[in-house]
Amino acid sequence: MTPSTFQGEGRGEGPIRKAFSMPSARKLLVHTFLLCFALMIYLPFMMIALRSIGRGWFGRLWLPPELTLDWYRWAIEVTNIVDITKNTLIIAVLAVAVSTLIGIPTGWAFGRRKIPGKELLMAMILLPRMIPPIAYGLGVAQIFYRLHLINTHFGVALAHVAICAPYAILVLSATFEGLDGRVLEAASVCGANPLRTFFHVILPLILPGILSSMIFTFTTSYNEFTLTLMSYGKDTVTLPVRTYLAIGEGYWEVTSAMSIILVIPSLLVLFMIQRQVAPEKLVGGFKGV
Amino acid sequence: MLKRGSGVRATLTTLLMMLPGLAAFFGLFFYPMMVTVVRSLRPEGQLVGWTLEHYVMFMSEPRARGVIVLTFVLSISATLCSILFSVVLCLVLRRKPRGHRFFRLTMLIPRVVPGLIGALGLLLLFGSRGWVNLLLMQFVPGVEEPVSINYTIPGLILCYTWLYFPFTSVTTLSTLESLDPAIEEAADVSGANRWQVLRHVVIPLIMPGILAGSVLTFMAAFGAFSIPLIAGGNHRPLSVEIYKQINLTPARWSAASARAMIMAALQVAFLTLYMRILRRPSI
Repeated sequence: MTPSTFQGEGRGEGPIRKAFSMPSARKLLVHTFLLCFALMIYLPFMMIALRSIGRGWFGRLWLPPELTLDWYRWAIEVTNIVDITKNTLIIAVLAVAVSTLIGIPTGWAFGRRKIPGKELLMAMILLPRMIPPIAYGLGVAQIFYRLHLINTHFGVALAHVAICAPYAILVLSATFEGLDGRVLEAASVCGANPLRTFFHVILPLILPGILSSMIFTFTTSYNEFTLTLMSYGKDTVTLPVRTYLAIGEGYWEVTSAMSIILVIPSLLVLFMIQRQVAPEKLVGGFKGV
Repeated sequence: MLKRGSGVRATLTTLLMMLPGLAAFFGLFFYPMMVTVVRSLRPEGQLVGWTLEHYVMFMSEPRARGVIVLTFVLSISATLCSILFSVVLCLVLRRKPRGHRFFRLTMLIPRVVPGLIGALGLLLLFGSRGWVNLLLMQFVPGVEEPVSINYTIPGLILCYTWLYFPFTSVTTLSTLESLDPAIEEAADVSGANRWQVLRHVVIPLIMPGILAGSVLTFMAAFGAFSIPLIAGGNHRPLSVEIYKQINLTPARWSAASARAMIMAALQVAFLTLYMRILRRPSI
């Protein structure tokens, strides 16, 4: 199956145009459906946002009676969210760096070299995305305890790599596979040595692929919860784990404030990258998907 | 680039390039998995000796069957709901209604935000003081008290569907858009009405895409951990059951590992079955 472009395609006006001349009742139905869909997706965030700025919101009230920013102050002062954000970012950057370093050579081998049993090997590499993370998370926790990697940024990042690296390999191998061999030949015919070819020909061509792989692994690591829970310590609490702990503590207002702080970067990234990379890839992960 | 002549050298280079990926796979997935396997066969709290007691104990617990059934009920219902919803949504989006780009992005949101936050928002929205209940109480006659949605099985299925439907809808949409409109036109010209075209032409043609996407939804729902952890209440699927074991004092790592192995085995078995059905040309 061919991956569709994000804009969709202009061809095939026939049945599609006919659908537009549908009766207005039908049109109304379609719009109601889409509206419900958008409400269903956005209202939960709306509720969190309202909860995070409301005070004394009890009983059958549609909106909080009083607005306040106290919960954000609490989130910053009491739950130490600045340090936690720092942890989250350090871990995500480390995880992205390691995954990319793994993904480039391995992706190159998968994309451009003859490997016997390539399909099978790829399926094997993708296995960590199929098996529930909690299953190997248990093992990761025990191994990391032994190696004293618990409670270090690098340790948590390494646990994330388990799930980020397959993704980087997948995206990068697709990028490298799409590289036109004739361009590389042309470069070498024109007398460029391998190093020059790499920096002046290959790198500019693969940079978008590398960037999208980095964005996707970053998002994965930023949002990762299960594996963090298995490998975090008191100095490496990340935002998702802190949110979970706060939910357990029962301070819904502070939790909401933290959630908003956590979620805004994700949404910003989504809306920012949508023109550069097909964000649909974020959801895929397997061949033909 | 590399000279093609020396086969051995080329093989060696390939192997060298594969090394980081293989190291990550074996070091961060395979080895931990083996540790889990071995741990599940050790007596609790000891590092020597072999036993099958954790498997036997879990399987003989009357609760165990309930846990496994719950895990399957949740993930299969969420998969079915996702398929139904995605097909309708994609058929609508395919006609490019106004603002369809916005709706396409909206579709991805549950996958880019942490699952915990989605679950938190849904808990707030459907809670006894949430807007859904206020709406029901104000506009639906007969509803005086808040309806409890959170912490029930239908509520959990709703959460799962909300979080995992994008896997299905994205693949369905991309399959739908790569469909050749000429086929539909042919059916249309041959006198089929819109419903017949949909039922006998479009749906069978996009079925592989729907199924491929639904596998992803199923896997994610089966392994879901953060959502049932905070939104599950008393309903604990396997993943939460595993986590509870290592949160006991003293932590029961072996019992947790045995449950994790059962979970992984069930998932692999179900996937193999699913794939086999998927390959069958009759669909």
